[in-house]
Amino acid sequence: MNSTTKFVLLGLASLALVQPSRAQTIYQVTSAYHHIAVVDRVGYRVLSFNGSWESRVSLANPLTGHFEYCELLHVPWLWNPAMTNVLVVGLGGGSTQRLYQHYYPYVNLDTVELDPAVVSISKYYFQAQETARHKIHTMDGRVYLRRTQKKYDAILMDAYSTSRYGSFIPYHLATTEFFTLAAANLTENGVLCYNVIGNLNGFRADILGSVYKTMRGVFPQVWLFPASDTGNVVLVGTKSKEPVTLAELEKRAASLVKDKVVTLPNFDKRVRAFRAAPPANLARAKMLTDDYAPVDGLLTGSGR
Amino acid sequence: MQTAAAILLVFLGGFAVMVLEIIGARFLLKDFGGAFYVWTSQIGVVLVALSLGYWFGGRWADRFQRARFLAWLLAPAGLFTLAIPDFAPRLIDALVSRHPADADIPLVWQKLDPALGSALVFLFPCFVLATLSPYMIRLLAAQLGNVGAVSGAVYAASTAGSVVGVFISGYVLLDHLSLSIIFRATGVLTLALAGLCLCLDCRLVRKT
Repeated sequence: MNSTTKFVLLGLASLALVQPSRAQTIYQVTSAYHHIAVVDRVGYRVLSFNGSWESRVSLANPLTGHFEYCELLHVPWLWNPAMTNVLVVGLGGGSTQRLYQHYYPYVNLDTVELDPAVVSISKYYFQAQETARHKIHTMDGRVYLRRTQKKYDAILMDAYSTSRYGSFIPYHLATTEFFTLAAANLTENGVLCYNVIGNLNGFRADILGSVYKTMRGVFPQVWLFPASDTGNVVLVGTKSKEPVTLAELEKRAASLVKDKVVTLPNFDKRVRAFRAAPPANLARAKMLTDDYAPVDGLLTGSGR
Repeated sequence: MQTAAAILLVFLGGFAVMVLEIIGARFLLKDFGGAFYVWTSQIGVVLVALSLGYWFGGRWADRFQRARFLAWLLAPAGLFTLAIPDFAPRLIDALVSRHPADADIPLVWQKLDPALGSALVFLFPCFVLATLSPYMIRLLAAQLGNVGAVSGAVYAASTAGSVVGVFISGYVLLDHLSLSIIFRATGVLTLALAGLCLCLDCRLVRKT
């Protein structure tokens, strides 16, 4: 029995136990960082930290049911059609890893996840798989990057901490010093994708503007890919100085799809989320440094 | 008058300890990663510093009986704190880099490294600041009959200072000042406390 089948059977079994319309907490634990719950509801399995939804997967088909931003994390292919090494910071329910392993089985993946409990839950309840081409490192993302000698074609940032009041970017993963470190671990055409929880206007716009401004201080080009289903924007920093347009990216996407480099359904649609213009609040956004990064104070103040 | 000055001294001492604890945790986070072990270490190390400071502070108070002696402790502690932004990054870097690159750091060191880092940077200044309370109790207590009231007032003032330090650091300082500036300001404050001890010296000496 392969793992997908097991996964589906496990899903069906847990569905059969409850009325399909009701949410059923199938596992919960308090780790050093969060109260973590695995909840099955109406055909989906959800990973929850302190009540939030970190990750979601369809029980019937694990390749679906994830949040849209996971697909936006595939845009690095537009800048590098021959990626072989990808680093993901943040495991969660393993949606990003699952998609990469399925659609690009030849890519070497490294995942860095801080919380050992998340690693075991992700493996058991979300079928995160460690293979010869996917190694999970249980440590802090910045500590990992600082110590590794490896160079990556893409670094995908999806590390969050969650409280009752919402999700927070760990401040040390969003400063000039961090992005400088990340850029040093990228190959020549390397791309850094940052999943930022926030909207272009309004909700958490200050955080988004600040992360954008801080990335622009390190990467020659930064582009935005806002998700349509949730308040997430994927910021894409490229080491390439070349400016791009939507037309150019669509052309690249079409050729990636034609050559079967990218087989992710909807890839062309995701590429069209592209936005070249910086966030409107850029002028008053603050550059974040190790020395000064008020991410959980000034920047999240909803009253401002 | 001297009582008020002594109470102010322990209040500001308690304040400075908690600024170092809260801002220090933030400072260590970028090098040791995820907040949990950093917080555990920082709280543990500061409590060790307080415990040692109370112990030695009390003994030194009996032995020297002069507020002047505290200036000799506070001045180096102030200079040390003032210099944290200059020496601490390199020190912490050496601590983190001692593990072989490209192999995961063993979990036990992921837990203990932040405590070692915290001890190297924060143990000494917090230890010195903790000596103030028992020392002041010795100098202020004129006779055995009022030791209860004197020690109560000193504890209360020192803890009240700590309370203010926690909230000011977490709610205000982090949002408006850089970590380096906060450390330097705390260093200057500690030097000012050394000065205050010198002023107190002639006033309190006759008490013994």
